[in-house]
Amino acid sequence: MICVRCLRDTARKVAEAPDRSGVWEVYYCKRCNYSWRSTEEEQITVLEKRDPEFQLDQEDLESLSSPNPIPPLEKK
Amino acid sequence: MMRGFGISIRPRTVFMAFQSLRSFLEALGKNGQLVTLHDIVYPEPDVRTYLKAAADLDNDSPAIVFDNIMGYKGFRIAGNVHGSWVNHAILLGMDRNANIRQQFFQVDRLWQDLSSGELKWVDNAPCQEIVVEKNINLYELMPLFRINQNDGGYYFSKACVISRDSEDPENLDKENVGIYRVMVQGPDTLGMQPLPYHDFARHLRRCEEKNESFPVAICIGNPPWLTTMAATPLPYGQSEYIAAAAIMGEPIELTKAIGSNLNIPAHCEYVIEGEVIPRQRFCEGPFGEFPGSYSGARNQIRIKVNRVTHRRDPIYETLFIGKPWTEHDTLIGLWTSVPLYKQLKAEFPEVKCVNAMYQHGLTIIVASDMRLGGFGKTLAFRVASTPHGMSYAKNIIIVDGDVDPFNLEKVMWALSTRIRAEKDVVVIPNTPGVPLDPCTDPPGVGSKLIIDATTPVAPDRMREITMIADPPGSAKAAERLREILKEVRPQF
Repeated sequence: MICVRCLRDTARKVAEAPDRSGVWEVYYCKRCNYSWRSTEEEQITVLEKRDPEFQLDQEDLESLSSPNPIPPLEKK
Repeated sequence: MMRGFGISIRPRTVFMAFQSLRSFLEALGKNGQLVTLHDIVYPEPDVRTYLKAAADLDNDSPAIVFDNIMGYKGFRIAGNVHGSWVNHAILLGMDRNANIRQQFFQVDRLWQDLSSGELKWVDNAPCQEIVVEKNINLYELMPLFRINQNDGGYYFSKACVISRDSEDPENLDKENVGIYRVMVQGPDTLGMQPLPYHDFARHLRRCEEKNESFPVAICIGNPPWLTTMAATPLPYGQSEYIAAAAIMGEPIELTKAIGSNLNIPAHCEYVIEGEVIPRQRFCEGPFGEFPGSYSGARNQIRIKVNRVTHRRDPIYETLFIGKPWTEHDTLIGLWTSVPLYKQLKAEFPEVKCVNAMYQHGLTIIVASDMRLGGFGKTLAFRVASTPHGMSYAKNIIIVDGDVDPFNLEKVMWALSTRIRAEKDVVVIPNTPGVPLDPCTDPPGVGSKLIIDATTPVAPDRMREITMIADPPGSAKAAERLREILKEVRPQF
Protein backbone atom coordinates (compact mmCIF):
# COMPACT_ATOMS: atom_id res chain seq x y z
CA MET A 1 0.00 0.00 0.00
CA ILE A 2 1.00 3.62 -0.43
CA CYS A 3 2.87 5.23 2.46
CA VAL A 4 1.13 8.44 3.55
CA ARG A 5 4.50 10.10 4.18
CA CYS A 6 6.85 9.11 1.34
CA LEU A 7 4.10 8.19 -1.15
CA ARG A 8 5.77 5.01 -2.37
CA ASP A 9 4.16 1.60 -2.52
CA THR A 10 6.31 0.36 0.32
CA ALA A 11 3.88 0.24 3.25
CA ARG A 12 1.94 -2.70 4.65
CA LYS A 13 -0.33 -3.60 7.49
CA VAL A 14 1.76 -4.77 10.42
CA ALA A 15 -0.67 -5.03 13.31
CA GLU A 16 -4.26 -5.25 14.42
CA ALA A 17 -5.68 -4.32 17.81
CA PRO A 18 -4.34 -7.09 20.08
CA ASP A 19 -7.62 -7.37 21.99
CA ARG A 20 -9.17 -8.64 18.73
CA SER A 21 -11.72 -5.84 18.79
CA GLY A 22 -10.80 -4.92 15.24
CA VAL A 23 -10.97 -1.22 16.10
CA TRP A 24 -7.74 -0.32 14.37
CA GLU A 25 -4.85 -1.46 12.21
CA VAL A 26 -1.28 -0.21 12.14
CA TYR A 27 0.67 0.33 8.92
CA TYR A 28 4.42 0.62 8.46
CA CYS A 29 6.55 1.82 5.57
CA LYS A 30 9.85 -0.02 5.21
CA ARG A 31 11.27 2.76 3.05
CA CYS A 32 10.85 5.80 5.31
CA ASN A 33 10.03 3.89 8.53
CA TYR A 34 6.80 5.74 9.13
CA SER A 35 4.10 4.04 11.22
CA TRP A 36 0.49 5.10 11.52
CA ARG A 37 -2.77 3.78 12.91
CA SER A 38 -6.07 3.78 11.08
CA THR A 39 -7.79 5.63 13.95
CA GLU A 40 -5.37 8.57 14.11
CA GLU A 41 -6.38 12.11 13.22
CA GLU A 42 -6.99 12.98 9.59
CA GLN A 43 -3.83 15.11 9.64
CA ILE A 44 -2.00 11.78 9.90
CA THR A 45 -4.11 9.33 7.90
CA VAL A 46 -5.46 11.47 5.03
CA LEU A 47 -2.86 12.46 2.51
CA GLU A 48 -4.50 15.74 1.53
CA LYS A 49 -4.66 16.88 5.13
CA ARG A 50 -1.10 16.08 6.08
CA ASP A 51 1.34 18.89 6.82
CA PRO A 52 3.71 19.09 3.80
CA GLU A 53 6.55 20.02 6.13
CA PHE A 54 6.50 16.49 7.50
CA GLN A 55 6.35 14.63 4.17
CA LEU A 56 9.55 12.96 2.95
CA ASP A 57 10.41 12.74 -0.71
CA GLN A 58 13.34 11.04 -2.41
CA GLU A 59 15.56 14.07 -2.06
CA ASP A 60 14.76 14.40 1.63
CA LEU A 61 15.57 10.76 2.23
CA GLU A 62 18.87 11.03 0.38
CA SER A 63 19.97 14.11 2.23
CA LEU A 64 19.32 13.05 5.82
CA SER A 65 22.04 14.06 8.22
CA SER A 66 23.67 11.45 10.42
CA PRO A 67 24.41 12.60 13.96
CA ASN A 68 26.51 9.50 14.49
CA PRO A 69 28.52 9.01 11.28
CA ILE A 70 29.78 5.49 10.54
CA PRO A 71 33.46 5.43 11.61
CA PRO A 72 36.25 4.09 9.38
CA LEU A 73 36.85 0.36 9.65
CA GLU A 74 39.73 -0.58 11.90
CA LYS A 75 42.74 -1.82 9.96
CA LYS A 76 43.66 -5.36 10.89
CA MET B 1 0.56 10.80 56.99
CA MET B 2 3.79 12.71 56.81
CA ARG B 3 2.38 15.75 58.55
CA GLY B 4 4.90 17.28 60.87
CA PHE B 5 7.83 15.67 59.09
CA GLY B 6 10.32 18.45 58.66
CA ILE B 7 12.99 18.46 56.03
CA SER B 8 15.63 18.88 58.71
CA ILE B 9 15.01 15.29 59.83
CA ARG B 10 17.46 12.77 58.37
CA PRO B 11 16.28 12.00 54.86
CA ARG B 12 16.17 8.23 55.30
CA THR B 13 13.31 8.55 57.82
CA VAL B 14 10.66 8.06 55.15
CA PHE B 15 12.98 7.44 52.26
CA MET B 16 12.18 4.31 50.25
CA ALA B 17 14.37 2.46 47.79
CA PHE B 18 11.50 1.54 45.40
CA GLN B 19 12.81 -1.55 43.61
CA SER B 20 10.00 -1.32 41.07
CA LEU B 21 7.77 1.12 39.24
CA ARG B 22 4.82 -0.60 40.96
CA SER B 23 6.05 0.12 44.48
CA PHE B 24 6.52 3.79 43.56
CA LEU B 25 3.04 3.96 42.01
CA GLU B 26 1.69 2.50 45.23
CA ALA B 27 3.45 5.19 47.27
CA LEU B 28 2.11 7.87 44.93
CA GLY B 29 -1.37 6.41 45.36
CA LYS B 30 -1.12 6.54 49.15
CA ASN B 31 -0.18 10.19 48.86
CA GLY B 32 -3.04 11.09 46.56
CA GLN B 33 -0.68 11.41 43.59
CA LEU B 34 -2.08 8.74 41.29
CA VAL B 35 -5.08 8.95 38.98
CA THR B 36 -6.31 5.82 37.23
CA LEU B 37 -8.27 6.87 34.18
CA HIS B 38 -11.00 4.35 33.46
CA ASP B 39 -12.50 6.46 30.67
CA ILE B 40 -12.17 4.98 27.20
CA VAL B 41 -9.23 6.57 25.38
CA TYR B 42 -7.87 6.11 21.89
CA PRO B 43 -4.08 5.69 21.65
CA GLU B 44 -4.11 8.87 19.53
CA PRO B 45 -4.68 11.62 20.30
CA ASP B 46 -6.19 10.91 23.73
CA VAL B 47 -3.17 9.55 25.59
CA ARG B 48 -0.98 12.49 24.63
CA THR B 49 -3.81 14.92 25.34
CA TYR B 50 -4.22 13.66 28.89
CA LEU B 51 -0.48 13.52 29.52
CA LYS B 52 -0.02 17.08 28.29
CA ALA B 53 -2.94 18.16 30.48
CA ALA B 54 -1.33 16.46 33.46
CA ALA B 55 1.95 18.21 32.71
CA ASP B 56 0.15 21.55 32.74
CA LEU B 57 -1.53 20.98 36.10
CA ASP B 58 -0.05 22.57 39.20
CA ASN B 59 2.92 21.42 41.24
CA ASP B 60 0.89 18.50 42.56
CA SER B 61 0.14 16.97 39.16
CA PRO B 62 -0.40 13.20 39.66
CA ALA B 63 0.88 10.14 37.84
CA ILE B 64 -1.73 8.88 35.36
CA VAL B 65 -2.51 5.23 34.64
CA PHE B 66 -4.70 4.52 31.61
CA ASP B 67 -6.48 1.17 31.84
CA ASN B 68 -9.12 1.42 29.14
CA ILE B 69 -7.28 1.97 25.87
CA MET B 70 -9.19 1.31 22.66
CA GLY B 71 -7.79 -1.77 20.97
CA TYR B 72 -5.45 -2.45 23.89
CA LYS B 73 -7.96 -3.87 26.36
CA GLY B 74 -6.11 -5.44 29.28
CA PHE B 75 -3.05 -3.20 28.78
CA ARG B 76 -2.04 -0.25 30.94
CA ILE B 77 -0.04 2.90 30.25
CA ALA B 78 1.56 4.89 33.09
CA GLY B 79 2.69 8.47 32.54
CA ASN B 80 3.70 11.57 34.45
CA VAL B 81 5.24 9.34 37.13
CA HIS B 82 8.14 11.77 37.73
CA GLY B 83 5.94 14.59 36.47
CA SER B 84 5.50 16.96 39.40
CA TRP B 85 7.47 18.37 42.29
CA VAL B 86 5.17 16.60 44.74
CA ASN B 87 5.89 13.25 43.06
CA HIS B 88 9.58 14.12 43.13
CA ALA B 89 9.39 15.03 46.83
CA ILE B 90 7.82 11.63 47.55
CA LEU B 91 10.63 9.92 45.64
CA LEU B 92 13.14 11.91 47.70
CA GLY B 93 11.43 10.88 50.93
CA MET B 94 10.39 14.43 51.73
CA ASP B 95 7.24 16.19 52.83
CA ARG B 96 5.00 16.60 49.79
CA ASN B 97 5.18 20.37 50.19
CA ALA B 98 8.98 20.54 50.01
CA ASN B 99 9.86 23.36 47.64
CA ILE B 100 12.29 23.02 44.76
CA ARG B 101 15.19 24.56 46.64
CA GLN B 102 14.67 22.16 49.53
CA GLN B 103 14.52 19.29 47.04
CA PHE B 104 17.76 20.52 45.47
CA PHE B 105 19.58 20.24 48.78
CA GLN B 106 18.00 16.84 49.44
CA VAL B 107 19.40 15.64 46.10
CA ASP B 108 22.76 17.09 47.13
CA ARG B 109 22.63 15.19 50.43
CA LEU B 110 21.63 11.92 48.78
CA TRP B 111 24.32 12.30 46.10
CA GLN B 112 27.35 11.29 48.10
CA ASP B 113 29.65 8.44 47.11
CA LEU B 114 27.87 7.19 44.00
CA SER B 115 30.38 4.36 43.55
CA SER B 116 29.39 2.83 46.89
CA GLY B 117 26.14 1.23 45.71
CA GLU B 118 25.77 -2.53 45.68
CA LEU B 119 24.19 -4.86 43.16
CA LYS B 120 22.16 -7.97 43.91
CA TRP B 121 21.33 -10.58 41.32
CA VAL B 122 18.06 -12.46 41.67
CA ASP B 123 16.71 -15.57 39.92
CA ASN B 124 13.25 -15.92 38.44
CA ALA B 125 13.01 -12.19 37.98
CA PRO B 126 9.53 -10.74 37.46
CA CYS B 127 10.65 -9.03 34.24
CA GLN B 128 11.08 -12.47 32.66
CA GLU B 129 7.78 -14.02 33.71
CA ILE B 130 6.66 -14.04 30.08
CA VAL B 131 9.12 -14.71 27.25
CA VAL B 132 8.26 -13.97 23.61
CA GLU B 133 10.77 -15.21 21.02
CA LYS B 134 8.63 -16.00 18.00
CA ASN B 135 6.43 -13.75 15.89
CA ILE B 136 7.52 -10.69 17.82
CA ASN B 137 5.20 -7.78 17.11
CA LEU B 138 5.93 -4.74 19.26
CA TYR B 139 2.76 -2.97 18.06
CA GLU B 140 0.72 -5.75 19.62
CA LEU B 141 2.88 -6.56 22.65
CA MET B 142 2.70 -3.10 24.19
CA PRO B 143 0.30 -0.16 24.03
CA LEU B 144 2.25 2.06 21.69
CA PHE B 145 1.01 5.55 20.85
CA ARG B 146 2.29 8.62 19.00
CA ILE B 147 3.60 11.11 21.55
CA ASN B 148 3.46 14.28 19.44
CA GLN B 149 1.32 14.48 16.35
CA ASN B 150 4.13 14.85 13.83
CA ASP B 151 6.46 12.25 15.28
CA GLY B 152 7.61 9.78 12.64
CA GLY B 153 6.20 6.86 14.58
CA TYR B 154 5.70 5.36 18.01
CA TYR B 155 8.51 6.03 20.43
CA PHE B 156 9.75 4.70 23.75
CA SER B 157 10.43 7.95 25.58
CA LYS B 158 11.33 6.58 29.00
CA ALA B 159 13.21 3.37 28.25
CA CYS B 160 16.54 2.53 29.83
CA VAL B 161 18.93 1.28 27.16
CA ILE B 162 21.65 -1.01 28.50
CA SER B 163 24.90 -1.76 26.71
CA ARG B 164 28.48 -2.76 27.52
CA ASP B 165 31.91 -1.64 26.44
CA SER B 166 33.15 -4.35 24.05
CA GLU B 167 36.76 -3.53 24.92
CA ASP B 168 36.12 -4.06 28.61
CA PRO B 169 33.01 -6.26 28.64
CA GLU B 170 33.27 -7.48 32.24
CA ASN B 171 33.65 -3.99 33.69
CA LEU B 172 30.40 -3.20 35.48
CA ASP B 173 31.35 0.45 35.84
CA LYS B 174 31.29 0.84 32.06
CA GLU B 175 27.94 -0.89 31.60
CA ASN B 176 25.78 1.98 30.50
CA VAL B 177 22.15 2.63 31.35
CA GLY B 178 20.88 5.62 29.39
CA ILE B 179 17.59 7.05 28.24
CA TYR B 180 17.54 7.59 24.49
CA ARG B 181 14.66 8.11 22.14
CA VAL B 182 13.78 4.75 20.60
CA MET B 183 11.47 4.49 17.60
CA VAL B 184 9.54 1.37 16.66
CA GLN B 185 10.30 0.69 13.00
CA GLY B 186 8.31 -2.38 12.11
CA PRO B 187 7.21 -5.32 14.26
CA ASP B 188 10.67 -6.35 15.47
CA THR B 189 12.94 -3.47 14.56
CA LEU B 190 13.91 -0.27 16.37
CA GLY B 191 15.69 2.95 15.52
CA MET B 192 17.55 4.92 18.14
CA GLN B 193 19.28 8.26 18.54
CA PRO B 194 22.49 8.25 20.54
CA LEU B 195 24.32 11.56 20.19
CA PRO B 196 28.11 11.53 19.86
CA TYR B 197 28.62 12.75 23.42
CA HIS B 198 26.45 10.01 24.90
CA ASP B 199 28.10 7.00 26.52
CA PHE B 200 26.24 4.66 24.18
CA ALA B 201 27.99 6.30 21.23
CA ARG B 202 31.34 5.08 22.58
CA HIS B 203 30.07 1.50 22.68
CA LEU B 204 28.69 1.93 19.19
CA ARG B 205 31.88 3.33 17.73
CA ARG B 206 34.08 0.55 19.10
CA CYS B 207 31.87 -2.13 17.55
CA GLU B 208 31.34 -0.34 14.26
CA GLU B 209 35.09 0.09 13.79
CA LYS B 210 35.28 -3.73 13.93
CA ASN B 211 32.04 -4.23 12.01
CA GLU B 212 30.57 -6.18 14.92
CA SER B 213 27.04 -6.17 16.21
CA PHE B 214 26.54 -5.83 19.96
CA PRO B 215 23.71 -6.67 22.36
CA VAL B 216 21.40 -4.13 23.91
CA ALA B 217 18.53 -4.45 26.35
CA ILE B 218 15.78 -1.85 26.29
CA CYS B 219 13.89 -1.82 29.56
CA ILE B 220 10.53 -0.11 30.07
CA GLY B 221 8.77 0.53 33.37
CA ASN B 222 11.86 0.77 35.53
CA PRO B 223 12.52 1.39 39.23
CA PRO B 224 12.21 5.19 39.61
CA TRP B 225 15.71 5.69 40.92
CA LEU B 226 17.20 3.88 37.95
CA THR B 227 15.23 6.08 35.57
CA THR B 228 16.49 9.12 37.46
CA MET B 229 20.14 8.06 37.30
CA ALA B 230 19.84 7.03 33.65
CA ALA B 231 18.70 10.60 32.95
CA THR B 232 21.53 12.15 34.98
CA PRO B 233 24.80 13.18 33.36
CA LEU B 234 27.30 10.82 35.01
CA PRO B 235 30.95 10.22 34.06
CA TYR B 236 31.58 7.40 31.58
CA GLY B 237 33.09 5.08 34.19
CA GLN B 238 30.24 5.55 36.67
CA SER B 239 27.62 2.80 36.56
CA GLU B 240 24.06 4.05 36.72
CA TYR B 241 23.09 0.83 38.50
CA ILE B 242 25.70 1.39 41.21
CA ALA B 243 24.78 5.08 41.45
CA ALA B 244 21.07 4.25 41.80
CA ALA B 245 21.88 1.69 44.51
CA ALA B 246 24.05 4.25 46.33
CA ILE B 247 21.14 6.66 46.40
CA MET B 248 18.65 3.93 47.27
CA GLY B 249 20.75 2.87 50.24
CA GLU B 250 20.22 -0.79 49.45
CA PRO B 251 21.38 -3.10 46.64
CA ILE B 252 19.44 -2.69 43.42
CA GLU B 253 18.02 -6.00 42.25
CA LEU B 254 19.17 -7.11 38.82
CA THR B 255 19.05 -10.19 36.70
CA LYS B 256 20.79 -11.32 33.52
CA ALA B 257 19.27 -10.89 30.12
CA ILE B 258 18.46 -14.26 28.55
CA GLY B 259 20.53 -13.80 25.41
CA SER B 260 23.54 -11.77 26.60
CA ASN B 261 25.62 -10.85 29.64
CA LEU B 262 23.74 -7.58 30.09
CA ASN B 263 22.33 -6.80 33.52
CA ILE B 264 18.72 -5.70 33.59
CA PRO B 265 16.54 -4.42 36.44
CA ALA B 266 14.80 -7.51 37.85
CA HIS B 267 11.54 -5.68 38.52
CA CYS B 268 11.11 -3.72 35.32
CA GLU B 269 7.95 -4.24 33.29
CA TYR B 270 9.22 -4.99 29.77
CA VAL B 271 12.64 -5.98 28.40
CA ILE B 272 13.41 -5.88 24.70
CA GLU B 273 16.55 -7.82 23.93
CA GLY B 274 18.20 -7.10 20.64
CA GLU B 275 21.37 -6.29 18.81
CA VAL B 276 22.66 -3.21 17.05
CA ILE B 277 23.20 -3.74 13.35
CA PRO B 278 26.67 -2.28 12.70
CA ARG B 279 27.56 0.23 9.99
CA GLN B 280 24.05 0.90 8.74
CA ARG B 281 21.80 3.90 9.17
CA PHE B 282 18.09 4.28 8.56
CA CYS B 283 15.61 7.11 8.52
CA GLU B 284 14.45 8.00 12.05
CA GLY B 285 12.25 10.83 13.24
CA PRO B 286 11.00 13.47 13.40
CA PHE B 287 10.45 13.52 17.14
CA GLY B 288 9.05 16.26 19.36
CA GLU B 289 11.94 17.11 21.63
CA PHE B 290 12.52 18.85 24.96
CA PRO B 291 13.06 22.37 23.55
CA GLY B 292 9.43 22.23 22.42
CA SER B 293 10.28 21.75 18.75
CA TYR B 294 10.54 18.79 16.41
CA SER B 295 13.95 17.47 15.56
CA GLY B 296 13.91 16.44 11.95
CA ALA B 297 14.27 13.05 10.33
CA ARG B 298 17.83 11.75 10.44
CA ASN B 299 19.84 8.67 9.64
CA GLN B 300 20.20 6.68 12.83
CA ILE B 301 21.19 3.24 14.02
CA ARG B 302 18.96 0.18 13.88
CA ILE B 303 18.34 -2.52 16.46
CA LYS B 304 17.03 -5.97 15.55
CA VAL B 305 14.80 -7.37 18.29
CA ASN B 306 15.42 -11.00 19.24
CA ARG B 307 13.27 -11.39 22.31
CA VAL B 308 10.73 -9.57 24.46
CA THR B 309 10.20 -10.51 28.08
CA HIS B 310 7.73 -8.92 30.44
CA ARG B 311 5.92 -9.17 33.72
CA ARG B 312 2.46 -10.65 33.86
CA ASP B 313 0.00 -7.81 33.39
CA PRO B 314 2.78 -5.36 32.48
CA ILE B 315 2.57 -1.58 32.80
CA TYR B 316 3.91 0.35 29.82
CA GLU B 317 5.57 3.47 31.21
CA THR B 318 5.93 6.51 29.00
CA LEU B 319 6.97 10.12 29.39
CA PHE B 320 5.34 13.01 27.63
CA ILE B 321 8.02 15.21 26.10
CA GLY B 322 7.28 18.24 23.97
CA LYS B 323 6.27 21.81 24.59
CA PRO B 324 7.63 22.56 28.07
CA TRP B 325 7.00 22.21 30.96
CA THR B 326 6.79 18.40 30.78
CA GLU B 327 7.70 15.37 32.85
CA HIS B 328 11.05 15.41 31.08
CA ASP B 329 11.89 18.74 32.73
CA THR B 330 10.90 17.62 36.23
CA LEU B 331 12.65 14.27 35.85
CA ILE B 332 16.04 15.72 35.02
CA GLY B 333 15.89 19.29 36.40
CA LEU B 334 17.53 18.86 39.78
CA TRP B 335 19.66 15.96 38.60
CA THR B 336 21.21 18.28 36.05
CA SER B 337 21.57 21.09 38.62
CA VAL B 338 23.27 19.17 41.43
CA PRO B 339 26.24 17.72 39.47
CA LEU B 340 26.97 21.21 38.12
CA TYR B 341 26.75 22.57 41.67
CA LYS B 342 29.21 19.95 42.90
CA GLN B 343 31.61 20.58 40.02
CA LEU B 344 31.57 24.34 40.62
CA LYS B 345 31.77 24.09 44.38
CA ALA B 346 34.80 21.76 44.21
CA GLU B 347 36.91 24.68 43.05
CA PHE B 348 34.81 27.65 44.12
CA PRO B 349 33.37 27.06 47.61
CA GLU B 350 31.61 30.41 47.39
CA VAL B 351 28.92 28.81 45.18
CA LYS B 352 25.65 28.45 47.09
CA CYS B 353 23.16 26.90 44.67
CA VAL B 354 22.66 26.11 40.96
CA ASN B 355 19.42 26.05 38.98
CA ALA B 356 19.93 24.26 35.65
CA MET B 357 16.31 23.16 35.25
CA TYR B 358 15.46 24.94 32.05
CA GLN B 359 15.54 22.65 29.04
CA HIS B 360 18.25 20.43 30.45
CA GLY B 361 20.45 23.39 31.34
CA LEU B 362 20.19 25.59 28.23
CA THR B 363 19.69 28.33 30.81
CA ILE B 364 21.59 28.06 34.09
CA ILE B 365 21.41 30.33 37.12
CA VAL B 366 24.28 30.18 39.62
CA ALA B 367 24.04 31.81 43.06
CA SER B 368 27.39 32.56 44.64
CA ASP B 369 29.20 34.88 46.97
CA MET B 370 31.83 36.95 45.19
CA ARG B 371 35.50 36.45 45.97
CA LEU B 372 36.70 39.48 44.05
CA GLY B 373 35.65 41.84 41.31
CA GLY B 374 34.82 40.01 38.08
CA PHE B 375 34.36 36.69 39.86
CA GLY B 376 30.89 36.26 38.36
CA LYS B 377 32.46 35.82 34.94
CA THR B 378 34.98 33.33 36.33
CA LEU B 379 32.06 31.21 37.47
CA ALA B 380 30.37 31.54 34.10
CA PHE B 381 33.52 30.32 32.34
CA ARG B 382 33.60 27.33 34.67
CA VAL B 383 29.95 26.52 33.92
CA ALA B 384 30.75 26.67 30.20
CA SER B 385 33.70 24.29 30.64
CA THR B 386 31.92 21.56 32.62
CA PRO B 387 31.19 18.40 30.61
CA HIS B 388 27.48 19.20 30.52
CA GLY B 389 27.73 22.96 30.32
CA MET B 390 30.16 22.83 27.41
CA SER B 391 27.31 22.23 24.99
CA TYR B 392 24.16 22.84 27.01
CA ALA B 393 24.91 26.02 28.99
CA LYS B 394 23.75 28.65 26.51
CA ASN B 395 22.46 31.36 28.84
CA ILE B 396 24.52 31.63 32.02
CA ILE B 397 23.23 33.93 34.73
CA ILE B 398 25.22 34.60 37.89
CA VAL B 399 23.47 36.09 40.93
CA ASP B 400 24.62 36.86 44.45
CA GLY B 401 24.78 34.08 47.01
CA ASP B 402 21.78 35.39 48.92
CA VAL B 403 19.53 35.13 45.87
CA ASP B 404 17.63 31.86 45.58
CA PRO B 405 18.15 30.79 41.95
CA PHE B 406 14.92 28.78 42.08
CA ASN B 407 12.94 31.89 43.00
CA LEU B 408 12.60 33.64 39.66
CA GLU B 409 11.15 36.76 41.30
CA LYS B 410 14.42 37.15 43.20
CA VAL B 411 16.43 36.38 40.09
CA MET B 412 14.55 39.03 38.14
CA TRP B 413 15.19 41.47 41.00
CA ALA B 414 18.89 40.75 40.67
CA LEU B 415 18.76 41.25 36.90
CA SER B 416 16.74 44.43 37.28
CA THR B 417 18.99 46.10 39.80
CA ARG B 418 22.49 44.72 39.17
CA ILE B 419 23.16 44.52 35.48
CA ARG B 420 25.39 47.17 33.99
CA ALA B 421 24.90 45.95 30.45
CA GLU B 422 28.14 47.42 29.10
CA LYS B 423 30.18 45.50 31.68
CA ASP B 424 28.08 42.58 32.75
CA VAL B 425 26.63 41.11 29.56
CA VAL B 426 28.90 39.18 27.22
CA VAL B 427 28.22 37.01 24.18
CA ILE B 428 30.80 34.45 23.13
CA PRO B 429 30.04 33.37 19.57
CA ASN B 430 30.68 30.07 17.82
CA THR B 431 30.74 27.71 20.77
CA PRO B 432 29.49 24.15 21.12
CA GLY B 433 25.72 23.97 21.36
CA VAL B 434 23.02 21.33 21.48
CA PRO B 435 21.82 20.20 18.05
CA LEU B 436 18.25 19.89 19.37
CA ASP B 437 18.27 23.57 20.36
CA PRO B 438 16.52 25.21 17.40
CA CYS B 439 18.79 28.28 17.79
CA THR B 440 21.97 26.43 16.94
CA ASP B 441 22.93 26.87 13.31
CA PRO B 442 24.50 24.76 11.99
CA PRO B 443 22.94 22.33 14.47
CA GLY B 444 25.32 21.95 17.37
CA VAL B 445 27.07 25.31 17.01
CA GLY B 446 25.78 28.17 19.07
CA SER B 447 26.93 30.90 21.42
CA LYS B 448 27.18 31.61 25.12
CA LEU B 449 25.38 34.49 26.79
CA ILE B 450 26.85 35.47 30.15
CA ILE B 451 24.91 37.76 32.44
CA ASP B 452 26.69 38.76 35.63
CA ALA B 453 23.90 40.06 37.86
CA THR B 454 25.95 40.17 41.03
CA THR B 455 26.76 43.13 43.24
CA PRO B 456 30.22 44.45 42.31
CA VAL B 457 32.93 43.82 44.93
CA ALA B 458 36.45 45.26 45.15
CA PRO B 459 38.38 46.08 43.13
CA ASP B 460 35.25 46.53 41.02
CA ARG B 461 32.81 49.02 42.49
CA MET B 462 29.30 50.35 42.23
CA ARG B 463 27.73 53.64 43.25
CA GLU B 464 27.52 54.38 46.96
CA ILE B 465 24.37 52.41 47.63
CA THR B 466 23.46 50.52 50.77
CA MET B 467 21.38 47.43 50.16
CA ILE B 468 18.58 46.63 52.59
CA ALA B 469 19.43 43.65 54.76
CA ASP B 470 16.87 41.04 55.82
CA PRO B 471 15.90 41.23 59.50
CA PRO B 472 18.35 38.85 61.25
CA GLY B 473 15.65 36.51 62.56
CA SER B 474 13.56 36.28 59.40
CA ALA B 475 14.55 32.71 58.48
CA LYS B 476 13.60 31.46 61.94
CA ALA B 477 10.38 33.44 61.85
CA ALA B 478 9.46 31.85 58.51
CA GLU B 479 10.03 28.42 60.00
CA ARG B 480 7.72 29.29 62.90
CA LEU B 481 5.04 30.53 60.51
CA ARG B 482 5.26 27.27 58.55
CA GLU B 483 4.74 25.29 61.76
CA ILE B 484 1.65 27.30 62.59
CA LEU B 485 0.34 26.93 59.03
CA LYS B 486 0.50 23.16 59.38
CA GLU B 487 -1.85 23.46 62.36
CA VAL B 488 -4.10 25.88 60.47
CA ARG B 489 -4.19 23.66 57.38
CA PRO B 490 -4.02 20.09 58.71
CA GLN B 491 -5.61 18.68 55.58
CA PHE B 492 -2.68 19.78 53.44
